[in-house]
Amino acid sequence: MKASDIAILAFYNLRRNTMRTILTSLGVAVGIGSLAAMISFAQGITENISLSMENNDIFTGLTATSRAIDPDDPGSSRGTNILSQNKEEVPLNDSVISGIGEWNEVAIAFPIVSKPATIQLAGRSVKASLKAVPMEMGGYPPFINITRGRFFKSADEPRVIVSRQMLQQMKILIEGESDNVGLGGDVLVLPLDSVIGKELTVVTRVFDVSKFSTANPRKNELPLSNEYTSLRIAGIIDNGAFSSGVFNSSDVFIPSKAIDYVPCIDLRSIYDIMDGKIDSKNKYGSVHVRVKEHRNLKTVKFWLEEMGLQVFSVGDKLDDIENLFLMLDSIFAAVGVIALVVSVLGIVNTLIMAIYERRKEIGIMKSLGGTQFQIKLIFYVEAAFIGFVGGVCGVAGAKLASQAASSFANTQIGKIIGCNLEFFDFSWTLALAAILFSVVVSVLASVYPANRAASIDPLDALRRE
Amino acid sequence: MALVKVSNLCKTYYKGDNKIYALRNINFDVEEGEFVSIVGKSGSGKSTLLNLLGGMDTTAEGSVSVGGVNILTMSEKQLSQYRKFTVGMIFQSFNLIPSRTAIDNVKLPLIFSNYPRRLRETRACELLYNMGLYNRALHYPSELSGGEAQRVAIARALANKPKIILADEPTGNLDTATSAEIIALLQMFNQKHHITIVMVTHDKETAGRVSHKTVLLSDGEIIKISTNPNP
Repeated sequence: MKASDIAILAFYNLRRNTMRTILTSLGVAVGIGSLAAMISFAQGITENISLSMENNDIFTGLTATSRAIDPDDPGSSRGTNILSQNKEEVPLNDSVISGIGEWNEVAIAFPIVSKPATIQLAGRSVKASLKAVPMEMGGYPPFINITRGRFFKSADEPRVIVSRQMLQQMKILIEGESDNVGLGGDVLVLPLDSVIGKELTVVTRVFDVSKFSTANPRKNELPLSNEYTSLRIAGIIDNGAFSSGVFNSSDVFIPSKAIDYVPCIDLRSIYDIMDGKIDSKNKYGSVHVRVKEHRNLKTVKFWLEEMGLQVFSVGDKLDDIENLFLMLDSIFAAVGVIALVVSVLGIVNTLIMAIYERRKEIGIMKSLGGTQFQIKLIFYVEAAFIGFVGGVCGVAGAKLASQAASSFANTQIGKIIGCNLEFFDFSWTLALAAILFSVVVSVLASVYPANRAASIDPLDALRRE
Repeated sequence: MALVKVSNLCKTYYKGDNKIYALRNINFDVEEGEFVSIVGKSGSGKSTLLNLLGGMDTTAEGSVSVGGVNILTMSEKQLSQYRKFTVGMIFQSFNLIPSRTAIDNVKLPLIFSNYPRRLRETRACELLYNMGLYNRALHYPSELSGGEAQRVAIARALANKPKIILADEPTGNLDTATSAEIIALLQMFNQKHHITIVMVTHDKETAGRVSHKTVLLSDGEIIKISTNPNP
């Protein structure tokens, strides 16, 4: 008996009870669709967050802020010279930061310098933080992967790098990247060439001596005025949606020396003035440390904490994050598996019903020379067909549903995060695996009914009228 | 050498603690090309004997040799081969698959025997034509008369060109005229095509008229074997 004959017989049997076949396939489709959608959602979320974290250097980055430490030997302390009782400010100056940067486990250490500003571009504006970027960062994410424009040529080049997310917040899209879901109307689409090299204006606030005599703080009048600095765009980076490292999507990046060209009131200096610490040893508020490998993270964090610095890092929570993803995947998989189990029971039920209905027919087939194996094969193929149709429909349904859900979610969340997300990672591999899985599970579900069918005594079956 | 040799065949079953003999010490031969009838009253063991000859039942003592091979000791696979190529069965209630057309029913054994697909249609049409049913090929069993349905069943039994046709009361559900047609058809295949036929029937008179050998059964035992050299 050829495979094609078995397929024809199986298909014929299924066609005989079209409605039941459709309903059983639908059951499988719901099960497989749920499972595929759950997995793609879990994968999508994991992928989005992981990518954003990698892009933002979160797994290898630490941010340290000053705390009490021995001020006389800050750079080389490594926990041995800590004077925990000493409450003097940690002198986060160039020498300390340079000392940290020389540790074997550290790739780069630099001070975090930023200035609050309003960015004006093409008649639109957005509040942003102008952040200094050392030239060494050109070799690390997110700057290493600039595909639009370039990194800075020198530390004093008067240019900036902006993020795609920040442009989207200004409702400016790059031509050919029009993922404007959730951006609403009034979207400005510009060709990439016209954005790179385009001049933007950085608006900062500075003390205005002329207003010192007239400003009345009680009426919220401060002796401040706007300062306008024009800078050209060197490049555009894509931080991803969940950027939360030292370089955020809401930042505008400027070379470390060029930031000095932009005048701005340093809020920290106000506190210094109030505390009478104008000559403070703390030149910088915080430092960013990038370790060479993720496994160095905990060690370096420990050393920095031993120095008396307050350290923040998402990377050392990587295990927790991975466990969270695993838990998320498990929950989603469990829900999908329950749906699948129900559909498998549907297949078993359908095939057992078919045995009762076709008992005599099976007896006839055996009396005509049909072997047990051939009878089993017919049932296997029937189940495989149900599984295949259910799998294809389930995957197609899940794909459509996930696209609809993703579009809907982006209309809501896109407004908040300023860009579109692929909530579902529905790859061809997943689709094919889901269909294959559906067929395999269906065939497995048919093992018991097929064995029952094959073991029918032809004599007994033919006696029954 | 006889085509079929039944030796010391006993079939028993238990009803409570009582051992019941469905067949007791059955011995007879069927020569190639013979028309043999097994007659007897209801419950005499006719159908049981036919089922043993057809390899549908193998739980018996003694031996049923067909072509020198005892079918009672055959494996499941060997039995399938035997049912496929050596015997063709005809039943009182036709046993056609109701959801398949006449031609599809005839093609079914050809599918199991791996008969070339392109030739199946031709073979099935040829058989139906020989049965006078060419114009009924696409009809479902429910659209056929009893006689037509039994002729489709005969066509199906002949599909794989078996050596032996085993007919279990083939006229039991038919009127007299149609029964005569079916018997004549079987006789024709026996005489023209030298197909060995073993038929179970109630009708002693017809059996005696058309058969070379008539085996009379009663309570599972052979009472008499009569022969007719010129049926």
